[in-house]
Amino acid sequence: MCAAVTEVQDQSSHRPEEGREKIDFKMITFSLGGREYGIDIMKVKEISKIDRFTYVPNGSPFLRGVYNLRGEIIPIIDFRIMFHLPLKPIEAGKAEDVLILNTEDQVMGVIVDSIDKVIGVSSQRVKPAHPLFHDINVQYLKGIVEYGSSLYIVLDVDRVLGVTEERLPEQPATVEAPAAVAELEATVYAPAGEEQSAGSLELGFIRDTLAAFRSFVLSDLNLGWVKGRLGEWRDLRSSEGRGVQLAEPSEADDFLESFYSPYTGELWGETYAGEIEGLLPEVSGGTLSAWNPGCGKGYESYSFAALLARHYHGKRIKVWANDNDLLGISMAPTLTFHEEAIPPLLAPFVTKARNGFGFKQELKDSILFEYHDILHPNPFPEVDLVLARDILSFFSPAQQQTLVDLFRSKLRVGGILILGSNERMPESGWREIRNGGVYGYERLADEEPLNKEQVT
Amino acid sequence: MRVEYINPFVEATFSILKEVLNTKVERGELYLKPTSHPVLGVAAIVGLAGDVEGRVLFDMARETAIAIASIMNGEELKDFDELGKATIAELANMITAQAVTKLHDLGFRFDLTPPALITGINMEVSSPNVEALIVPVTLPQGKLEINVAIRERA
Repeated sequence: MCAAVTEVQDQSSHRPEEGREKIDFKMITFSLGGREYGIDIMKVKEISKIDRFTYVPNGSPFLRGVYNLRGEIIPIIDFRIMFHLPLKPIEAGKAEDVLILNTEDQVMGVIVDSIDKVIGVSSQRVKPAHPLFHDINVQYLKGIVEYGSSLYIVLDVDRVLGVTEERLPEQPATVEAPAAVAELEATVYAPAGEEQSAGSLELGFIRDTLAAFRSFVLSDLNLGWVKGRLGEWRDLRSSEGRGVQLAEPSEADDFLESFYSPYTGELWGETYAGEIEGLLPEVSGGTLSAWNPGCGKGYESYSFAALLARHYHGKRIKVWANDNDLLGISMAPTLTFHEEAIPPLLAPFVTKARNGFGFKQELKDSILFEYHDILHPNPFPEVDLVLARDILSFFSPAQQQTLVDLFRSKLRVGGILILGSNERMPESGWREIRNGGVYGYERLADEEPLNKEQVT
Repeated sequence: MRVEYINPFVEATFSILKEVLNTKVERGELYLKPTSHPVLGVAAIVGLAGDVEGRVLFDMARETAIAIASIMNGEELKDFDELGKATIAELANMITAQAVTKLHDLGFRFDLTPPALITGINMEVSSPNVEALIVPVTLPQGKLEINVAIRERA
């Protein structure tokens, strides 16, 4: 016994080239697009032939569907689609070869052309993959191994499926993206070779750079403005002999310059205040409450509160103003300014302060400035008005949806939501009211869903 | 959280820590956390009542708590014993009381509850519907997080 072991060791130490080394790596081999591949057998739960998957709409292209594996619902992905390998036409009703893989946190089925056999080799013989094997991105490869007369490419299952998982969560965002953006998505990201109009390419580029430089998110809310602005921008830039692309953050600022509503970061002038005033709803009780998320340094909150005090004379005004920019909002409660900067709207509320002019206590008392992140719980009661100028456009489509729902839940029926001058509510359940350059949205009762097309 | 409340808490934290520990106190960036979050190991809680409702939570690792308590008592504590616990509770009380005094001068009226000390591992604190302002502080003894959740009475 002891001698036998010694003999084996002797042999392996003398003739390692002859493949007598320890077999410690077993893999299942299969073919994909005419090449041979292998997967560590420890990752394979079972192999199976499956013919009927349940199709999942809006999934990744390589997600063929889900399958009920003895009571467990598992996703089925197609490696050929995932790695862009040639795909034979799928015959209806013909079962396909599926490897059921067991990764750390989930079980998943993978469709391949055909499953071959199990082979055992020494892990020493798995050589690093050469970057020339470009059918499959080299980061997904564990290595390459020779067995018999064939070369097998060994896939790193955890990497491949880890990437799948990272990609999957992105998918819902696209699904939730409103129709127009989805359409844009389709034109912008159409596979190479299909016709692409220069305009949609430009729009796609502008969208990506605005998102990167200024976290401005193109959505149905602002698509109209961005398209119009792109036209102006193209003319402006070509007159300067430059391209449409935004190369740096300052150019993104230039592009967005006309996006911001009038009097951003300033006290409101009379014309603009008058336009907002035209949208204010009837209020029956003795109190009027409003919510002003994204109030910045507080200029718009003071202007809004002063306007409410003038319009609803004698009623108690309560404005909840918040922002998640600590530095900006810290200044808000003690805002001071020069005398010449005071518009007529605010003149009745101004008093002499230590350095310059400040607002009277009665106006300050009507506003509660809070350092607050709007995506966290918003624990205040129902309001009559929401003033949310130019903030939704800086949230992801999913967050925009959450916030629109939030505004809806916080507004009483008949209450008004005021968005930025270049933002339009894409949802139904609101009635659009326009006064000059200002757009307001009346919250309709939930029972009678009505959109703006039906009203006009 | 109401803007006016932020500074008094930050200032009180610094002046008290500097005074009792006689050391350099470094402040991290203030930020907001949604309702629930993990606790490092030792948490001292002081409740607030009056015009507002809420609580202030002082959160630190056990080793940090022992090191702070050792300095405050002028003797090396081996373990987080009764004396150590009472010391950390007192520190929480001092900081909160000074902040509330500053707020009182600004016209906000709150009362304090006696501090409570909670220790353990893998703890989480949640205050439904109130986001918390986090004041992270770095001391030579370790990290300390002051977590202020205050809500206006509706």
